[in-house]
Amino acid sequence: MRFGRTHPVALTLIVIAAVLMMVPLFWVLALSFKANAALMADTNSVFSLPYTLANYRTLFGDGQVFRWIMNSLIVSLGMTAGVLILSSLAGYGFARLDFPGRSVLFVIVLLGLAVPEQAVIIARHQMLSLVSMHNTYGALILPGLSAPFGVFLMTQYFRAIPRDIDEAALLDGASRFKIFWKVLLPLTIPAQATLGIFTFLSAWNDYWWPLISATNKQMFTLTVGIASTQMNFAQTEGLGFLMAQAVLAGLPILIVYLFFQKYIVQAVAGAAGR
Amino acid sequence: MSGVVLDGVSKRYGAVTVIDRLSLTIAAGEFVVFLGPSGCGKSTLLRMIAGLETVDGGEIRIGARRVDHLAPGARGVAMVFQQYALYPHMSVRENMAFGLRNAHVPADEIDRRVAAAADALEIMPLLDRKSTQLSGGQQQRVAIARAIVKQPDLFLLDEPLSNLDAALRMRTRLEIAQLHQRLGTTMIFVTHDQVEAMTLADRIVVLNQGGIEQVGSPMDIYLTPRTEFVASFVGSPKINLLPVTVEAAGEMTRVRLANGAIIDTAVAAADLPAGAMTLGLRPECIRPAALDGAPLAARVQVVERLGERTLLHVVLDDGTPIVAEDSGLSAVRPGDRIGLAVQPERAHLFDADGLGHHPAQRG
Repeated sequence: MRFGRTHPVALTLIVIAAVLMMVPLFWVLALSFKANAALMADTNSVFSLPYTLANYRTLFGDGQVFRWIMNSLIVSLGMTAGVLILSSLAGYGFARLDFPGRSVLFVIVLLGLAVPEQAVIIARHQMLSLVSMHNTYGALILPGLSAPFGVFLMTQYFRAIPRDIDEAALLDGASRFKIFWKVLLPLTIPAQATLGIFTFLSAWNDYWWPLISATNKQMFTLTVGIASTQMNFAQTEGLGFLMAQAVLAGLPILIVYLFFQKYIVQAVAGAAGR
Repeated sequence: MSGVVLDGVSKRYGAVTVIDRLSLTIAAGEFVVFLGPSGCGKSTLLRMIAGLETVDGGEIRIGARRVDHLAPGARGVAMVFQQYALYPHMSVRENMAFGLRNAHVPADEIDRRVAAAADALEIMPLLDRKSTQLSGGQQQRVAIARAIVKQPDLFLLDEPLSNLDAALRMRTRLEIAQLHQRLGTTMIFVTHDQVEAMTLADRIVVLNQGGIEQVGSPMDIYLTPRTEFVASFVGSPKINLLPVTVEAAGEMTRVRLANGAIIDTAVAAADLPAGAMTLGLRPECIRPAALDGAPLAARVQVVERLGERTLLHVVLDDGTPIVAEDSGLSAVRPGDRIGLAVQPERAHLFDADGLGHHPAQRG
């Protein structure tokens, strides 16, 4: 849908809302450049010099932060790739292949959407303990690969592609896998982008499961690692350092957003439109 | 160039039989149109030939090969779909080349064939565009070009004109006819539009409820419909069907309408079975005439001026609505009471089983 020129009142309201949204972010960024001692005395000191990079120096001085960023990247990218591959294959199967029990299986997959992570976390922990997988990338990635939402999204997307296209490719002598790979999969790129971004962001931001599974500091993800460096009185005595951690944790998300802005907006708009 | 033989083919969906032991022979190079109303099985039959539907009984042969067990891509057919079914993420060139690549045709041969087909269909400037950037008419031409490059034994066209506007439909219809003349390849065209069927076909196959009602040339179908269904389905406006009783069976049949009017026909009385009859009169066989002496009298309700002819929607004295025809410069006005004359040599009779009986000699 295309709208005409935005009404000035609406525009003003949107600008005010945007500024209100930005204020806390700028606040966090500004605090991260202030010394902890100065902020402990008065947070209004953020509006005056001096500013410092000391908090960032402390953060990077540990050296482990880079390891945690790498872990987060491996886990997030691994989970994203796995979810995309499995959801695409499952979505194609549900949308295009006739097999006994397809409808029942699809309902079972959808029921997975109704099961909260909290309900399965103990069983999941025990299972991975039994196979001695904790403190491995596998333990951090594998549970995230069961993605009922991804299967549902891709199934619906494949279903929306006219079957005529499969049939035209069949008449063109393409095998079933070639039809999936060369003809249908490229048509699902918008859905893949949406699913990929959401999976990456949720994997990057995940705190609870890495906290349970990764007990070895070398296997911490960034969220768990940063939390582990906090002092007991961080809210008062280490506010600047806390904010520097928050900036560092949020930076990759910002980068992802800047690169994939178009797809994120499409995904949100698409969800709102439905 | 290959002929097609359908030998007792059947298709069932559960308990519902969609195609029932249908047999048909199509000669090599022939242009055959499957014509019928929605749900008659015409598209299913085409898809069975293409291999997109399984065959539950019987055989399909293309040329000398039995193909009903072969995959669609191995049957040597190309199909043009109603919705074009182009690959949206590929360019026009890639769309056309996709099938050839799958068949491992050498790259230079692919280039040559794509260029030849694009030239023939005047889509050369579109070759590097995505199919989504094309208009409906252009997409249709690309779909036809994609079929041509494969140099198939048989072209299948599934209502390919139904998504085009009236002007483009007429133009594309003409181009398909020219294409058939140029290539000489066997073509099967599915439509529910009798104008497309009449203008394109060497032979029309009229289908109804999964079976063949009649096979014949367009004029055979029009002039000697085998059944009442064919008579009412082919022809626009529709044939007038009036219940009658046989009044006198001399050499030619004379019938009486419900309102008592007597109509002479040129149908041989000897061929008629006993029982109720239906008189079939196409609008062009019913003309305005002076009230005195005309076999029918009617009140004009609507006058449709089509330029070269005028359709008169009239109501007989007993309230039966029929359509008659007059010249383009007709002076008849709505509300007029007019007489109607009938051409006996164009009157058809249909018996209780719906079978048609036609005049022995045509004028």
